[in-house]
Amino acid sequence: MSSREKILSAVAANQPAPRELPPLPSAAPAAESAQGSAMPADLDAQFIAVLESIGGEAYTVSGFARIGTILHEKFPAAKRVISNCPQIQPFAEAASASEDPHTFEDVDLAILPAHFGVAENGACWITESQMLHRALPFITQHLALVIHRRDIVADMHQAYDRIALLESAVAPYGFATFIAGPSKTADIEQSLVLGAHGPISLTVFLLDEQLSDAGFF
Amino acid sequence: MSTNHNNHAALAAAFNKDEPRVEWHDQTLWWVRKKRDIAAAKVPDWEALRDTASRIKDNVLSNLSGYLRQFEEEAIRNGITVHWAADATEHNQIILSLLQKHKVDKMVKSKSMLTEECHLNEFLHENGVEVIDTDLGERVVQLAGEPPSHIVLPCIHKKKEEIGEIFHEHLGTPAGNADPQFLTHAARLHLREKFLTRRVALTGVNFAVAETGEFVVCTNEGNADMGAHLADVHIACMGIEKIIPQRRHLGVFLRLLARSATGQPITTYSSHFRRPRPGQEMHIVLVDNGRSVHLGRKDFRNSLKCIRCAACFNTCPVYRRSGGHSYHTAVAGPIGSILAPNLDRSKYADLPFASTLCGSCSNVCPVKIDIHEQLYKWRQVIVQEGNATAGKKAAMKAMNWVLSNPSVYHGAGRAGRWFMLNAPFTVNNGLNAWWRQRDMPVAPKQSFGEWYKKNKH
Repeated sequence: MSSREKILSAVAANQPAPRELPPLPSAAPAAESAQGSAMPADLDAQFIAVLESIGGEAYTVSGFARIGTILHEKFPAAKRVISNCPQIQPFAEAASASEDPHTFEDVDLAILPAHFGVAENGACWITESQMLHRALPFITQHLALVIHRRDIVADMHQAYDRIALLESAVAPYGFATFIAGPSKTADIEQSLVLGAHGPISLTVFLLDEQLSDAGFF
Repeated sequence: MSTNHNNHAALAAAFNKDEPRVEWHDQTLWWVRKKRDIAAAKVPDWEALRDTASRIKDNVLSNLSGYLRQFEEEAIRNGITVHWAADATEHNQIILSLLQKHKVDKMVKSKSMLTEECHLNEFLHENGVEVIDTDLGERVVQLAGEPPSHIVLPCIHKKKEEIGEIFHEHLGTPAGNADPQFLTHAARLHLREKFLTRRVALTGVNFAVAETGEFVVCTNEGNADMGAHLADVHIACMGIEKIIPQRRHLGVFLRLLARSATGQPITTYSSHFRRPRPGQEMHIVLVDNGRSVHLGRKDFRNSLKCIRCAACFNTCPVYRRSGGHSYHTAVAGPIGSILAPNLDRSKYADLPFASTLCGSCSNVCPVKIDIHEQLYKWRQVIVQEGNATAGKKAAMKAMNWVLSNPSVYHGAGRAGRWFMLNAPFTVNNGLNAWWRQRDMPVAPKQSFGEWYKKNKH
């Protein structure tokens, strides 16, 4: 008998009587504010606060021109900048998805779109089709993600509802990840250090075309 | 019967020789526990969430064979090769044969307690394969030639000066530099070279979804992803109990895991691997190694719900003061003490006794495992099967005699109070295990029974 058969029959023989799956907690109500409106504002404020508490940075911006300006000023020394957002070029080079991932070794900054953010933990959901290559969000020294300000869900239950929706609209992902803040470790005496193996910094841009940039420039 | 030189009490005594270190270890882990409390309190429905997680796991255990078949089918459909390993030996052999097939003798590995349980590194080393652990804490203990002492914080037993010395010796950092920021950066550069040059990467698995055939790996450092996405071959190893039914259940577990572990709202990366990238090979090794037997033990099967957050370690008054190595098993702490006896009852007969049964572990467990109750039940099994030490057996017999004879009990109480009051040296000495780490209290002049008799009118 193969190990597979052996394991499956031992498990089947020893597993207890069937137990029902519990109902999942209903996703947090969309509008928690007393006014019953302004839900995106509430969620993006929470998202930004949590993201900052875990070492990330957030900017609410009117468009890609503004993103280019901010990143240019934040990373003046960045030599190799790659983006999968066509609107951000020529600030950044466009890379081909078929490139050998090892060639991304010297990328200083990657600017990638993500699907949505999660207010309760500051994470962004990004799927393979958005990241040029699976290795890029991890191998780059600095990472910037762009989401729409309205694309912030309250919690992880809503996040997986959204993921199911996305999947019915586009092809299933082969790889996807939640990214919450920069890569970090506290393995040495519990001292927090940002930039373990992945990006040293994470900047999330919340796009809102209705914002005016007047006064910013 | 457990041997004296290798049991929890003896190993804890060795750890306790360095008092300032024990104090630091204790306080640091308690600080992590407090961060967990703060994070949990921010989730309004935290207790309901724990309950839901526990019930999802009840369902998993009750239909594990069905979910395993479903997961296998979906994973194969996704282009992943699925392997089954009945025990540690078979698991290790599968990894070795995959490496040999690709003519590779160097590999990077991210954190996997399962491979620690199977002693994979030692096995591969004996077979000429170099394994580089890429989690910073795991790399530290690997360079030091030690096993991890904590499943989430592998080198929590080490001081930064010791880590500075290890890095000086192995990575060539300047002698005497013990700055965590500097040392972490040195490790980043050292390991980046490994990530870029290794063709095979092994990772653990936090959750595997039966519905979709995908698996999720959570890290803060990004080391699992750096390894897997740059390698030609990705091997993921998991115990069969890591299955969850549907992807949306991840919403429950990912809310609980990092908050329980470190007080973070979520780990930096929660990566969902569903298909190998074009040109890449992806393998999953499903490992039993005693789990199917454990599943049949009604009183103990709940321990298979564990999601390896280590909240029970951080809260445990015994773990915090005895250190992970005193448990002499891959998964230490309260949860390790109820998992290990399943594998070898005589070798780990000491572990269920390494507890005060205070119940704090069960109170923080995100999947509501009745840890302290299982510790108590294991003690009974171990004693009944004759695995208790001679000293413990004799003490239990004496205790039984005293407690079942009222006159002996009262006499013993009087004698004890008299000696503690009039001849304290008879208890304040090395023969009394209770005296070793604490001062004995001043004994009262009379027992409550004596006081009551005098004062009842």
